[in-house]
Amino acid sequence: MSNPASPDYDLVIVGGGISGAVVAKTVIEQAARKKKFPRILILEAGRATALSADKYDTYVEAYHEALAKVPNSPYHASSSAPQPDVLDIRKLKDTEGKPKISDQGYFVQKGPMPFGSDYARSLGGTTLHWLGTTLRMLPNDFRMSSNYGRGVDWPIDYDTLKPYYERAEWDIIGVAGDVEHQYYPIDGLDQYFRSSDPKKTRDGKYIFPMEEIPSSYLDQYMAKYADDMTITLPCMDPGEPDHEFAIRISNTPVARNSTPTTTDYRIVGAAGNADRGQRCEGNSSCIPICPVQAKYNALKTLYELIVKYPYELKENEKPGTRARVAVQSQSVAMEVMHAKGAETERAKVTGLRYKRYYDDGTGPTEHTVTARTYVLAANAIENATLLLASGNAANSSDQVGRNLMDHPLLLTWGLLPENVGAFRGPGSTSGIPTFRDGTFRDQHTAFRVEIGNWGWNFPENAPYVTVLDLVGGGNDGKAQLYGKALRKRLGEILPRQFRIAWELEQDPEARNRVTVDDHYKDALGKHRPVIEYDLSDYVKASLPWAAEASRQLFARLGMTEKRRRPHYETGDYTYYTPDDAAAVTYQGTTYWVRGAGHVVGTHRMGDDPKTSVVDSHQRSHDLPNLFIAGCGSMPTLGTSNPTLTMTALALRTGDEIAEELSK
Amino acid sequence: MGNSTSPPTPKQIFTDLSVELTGFDRAELAGTGMIDTYYDTLLRMIGEREAGQLLRYASDALTADQQTKNGAALKRDVIDSPRFGPVVVSLIKLWYLGHWYPLSGAYRDLHGATADDVEHVISSQGYREGLVWVAAGAHPMGGKPPGHGSWAEPPSLLTP
Ligand SMILES: Cc1cc2nc3c(=O)[nH]c(=O)nc-3n(C[C@H](O)[C@H](O)[C@H](O)COP(=O)(O)OP(=O)(O)OC[C@H]3O[C@@H](n4cnc5c(N)ncnc54)[C@H](O)[C@@H]3O)c2cc1C
Ligand code: SF4
Repeated sequence: MSNPASPDYDLVIVGGGISGAVVAKTVIEQAARKKKFPRILILEAGRATALSADKYDTYVEAYHEALAKVPNSPYHASSSAPQPDVLDIRKLKDTEGKPKISDQGYFVQKGPMPFGSDYARSLGGTTLHWLGTTLRMLPNDFRMSSNYGRGVDWPIDYDTLKPYYERAEWDIIGVAGDVEHQYYPIDGLDQYFRSSDPKKTRDGKYIFPMEEIPSSYLDQYMAKYADDMTITLPCMDPGEPDHEFAIRISNTPVARNSTPTTTDYRIVGAAGNADRGQRCEGNSSCIPICPVQAKYNALKTLYELIVKYPYELKENEKPGTRARVAVQSQSVAMEVMHAKGAETERAKVTGLRYKRYYDDGTGPTEHTVTARTYVLAANAIENATLLLASGNAANSSDQVGRNLMDHPLLLTWGLLPENVGAFRGPGSTSGIPTFRDGTFRDQHTAFRVEIGNWGWNFPENAPYVTVLDLVGGGNDGKAQLYGKALRKRLGEILPRQFRIAWELEQDPEARNRVTVDDHYKDALGKHRPVIEYDLSDYVKASLPWAAEASRQLFARLGMTEKRRRPHYETGDYTYYTPDDAAAVTYQGTTYWVRGAGHVVGTHRMGDDPKTSVVDSHQRSHDLPNLFIAGCGSMPTLGTSNPTLTMTALALRTGDEIAEELSK
Repeated sequence: MGNSTSPPTPKQIFTDLSVELTGFDRAELAGTGMIDTYYDTLLRMIGEREAGQLLRYASDALTADQQTKNGAALKRDVIDSPRFGPVVVSLIKLWYLGHWYPLSGAYRDLHGATADDVEHVISSQGYREGLVWVAAGAHPMGGKPPGHGSWAEPPSLLTP
């Protein structure tokens, strides 16, 4: 081990995803203001993913050639850095209905429900295959306990985070949106978006760095028929009035390039090929891969760092004159080494043990690295697994691994009476924000409504399944439909396919957790995440609500009749049977609840070390030279997709670390 | 079909058959660049002898149907044939999705199967050229992007 007095680096970051990349970039830029130039190492478990256009194309090709086009299909993992895959999700009950553990994938799922989301373990992390929705949280989302008696409050409020949201939107991700088309159920929307920076303001209103991505034809169709309708949902308390929700289709801010709103803003194109990906051109494959990188991914930020601050010094460069970043892939952090504090001295991290693997037949090698400050940014589940496998590091609160959350998705789908041009454009361009906040939150979780542009791709694997339904074959082996009739019928059906995702807010529960178990390790000997997961009654109570809201909306759009494939007529095709791994039964009705990929909780932030793992700067209460960054720090998750908020938090953490390293 | 002086080649028959199976004309099929590949795929999946038989029956049926214009012979002798029906089902899916779906167990019980007859995507190009996207008035997900903002425009279909 190195001499602790002269550590190998100023900062070691575990994980080359957006969280790690943002912390690194921020530390470098903020420290430079004080003429300090840190040396940073980013340890990445997965392979170094494409940093040039031609290499990136091979991932696009892998996606085209994949049999099942799921989020991780372009990104193959090695057995030394395995990753979860939605194809591994199984029912956690045997044929007699008894609980069963499922461990054929990377996750060990103990249930009672399978955790339905995945992430990517490759350089760039999960932003390689995210959708790119970048909504801010609402002010009330930070005060769930005070306002609604649910969950916990955050140690910071919306106003504290607001300037960081702005930086995340402008300086990191590059968000396209228009505040004029945001219709949130809050008072003072103007104030919510107001910026103190005149450069980010036009006519007194906040502007995003890029103009909104146009709403799809489907969104416009929806607005024509459903805008201004009222959805009425029953109150849980008998005798109390119903809740009424005014529907307004709202264009969604997204991490996708469009036209800059100011002359100053520089669009960031593809990593290694800035001419590509200047604008979203409608490839319609944001999940699992944007062929041109018009959608933000963390490779863009990492690439900038590698190019601007290479670790190797040039011939006449002196150490200490500029920041230096080393990215080391195929390096899996195995242990956070830490010393217990004596009475006068606080405990601290003393080093990181990691393994490098080579994929060429040679065995892995083991290493230790030291730094002044350490950051875990390996995503919520990996951060928790790593801490728990490190002799329960940073866990005096017993909250590490707990409060795991996602946005449980209730999908509903139907066939519209008219051609709305499905299967065109980004995955989603609009939503309905009305259910995101309101007095009902003391009894029902809030939810966000995401309107999908890709027909029945998500719930039914269309267009594949549609072709198979129409062509037939099966037992008698004869084609039912072929030739012009087939072509015509597909043209009548596919562009009318419609689906909605009702994304419920999950509340934090200590029993929903990640643990480790020596029986379950991967090829490198690293612990695999063992997951226990369920939905509270608070979440479940929103399932009939969302289903009822869907019925009213579908009726307005002309899809009242209940229908089932393989016959195709206008109507509501939503169905849930108990045999699916995602089945949840509540009050006698079965629903399917899918994962949204929003892996949140496991190292919650708070002011009290007894009940939280990190403080509001994501610093470990127990080990002060350790920061645990990412969606895992979020105490509650509201209804916005979490990455923008996580990026805002990472910026704040970066500022804090820069301040400290500059001392 | 070939001209009157020389009989059509097997690949020409395959193309003519594909036109009838898919509802896309020869120019559209040629435009995909997949005719050669899919012809080879057919030979690999059912063997050259059986493919020869299929194309012989198809050719006769197509010739007969030229008079009646109702496609009855093709339906009777190929589509509804227990021997060739399952093969053309896979061929239609192949053209539409760029994806080979294996022949049914019942078919294999009678005719056996080749080692290649497993579910797979033929190639990246085959995926992108799947006819289903054209039929839907769309474009393959992850390919042939229609351009910024095109999704805001009213949809249009190329009707057959
Ligand atoms: C299908 C899908 C769609 C999504 N859509 C959206 C969306 O629209 N909007 C939104 O806000 N969010 C979305 N998300 C969530 C979003 O992708 C994540 O919140 C975000 O990418 C997390 O970033 P991260 O840097 O914390 O973690 P990650 O991106 O997971 O990066 C962690 C990195 O750490 C590495 N690592 C892991 N373990 C180790 C180890 N032991 N040693 C070294 N390195 C390690 C990993 O390989 C990885 O590169 C989506 C997710 C999915 C799955
Ligand atoms: S629609 Fe296409 S170009 Fe736009 S972000 Fe998605 S994949 Fe990229």
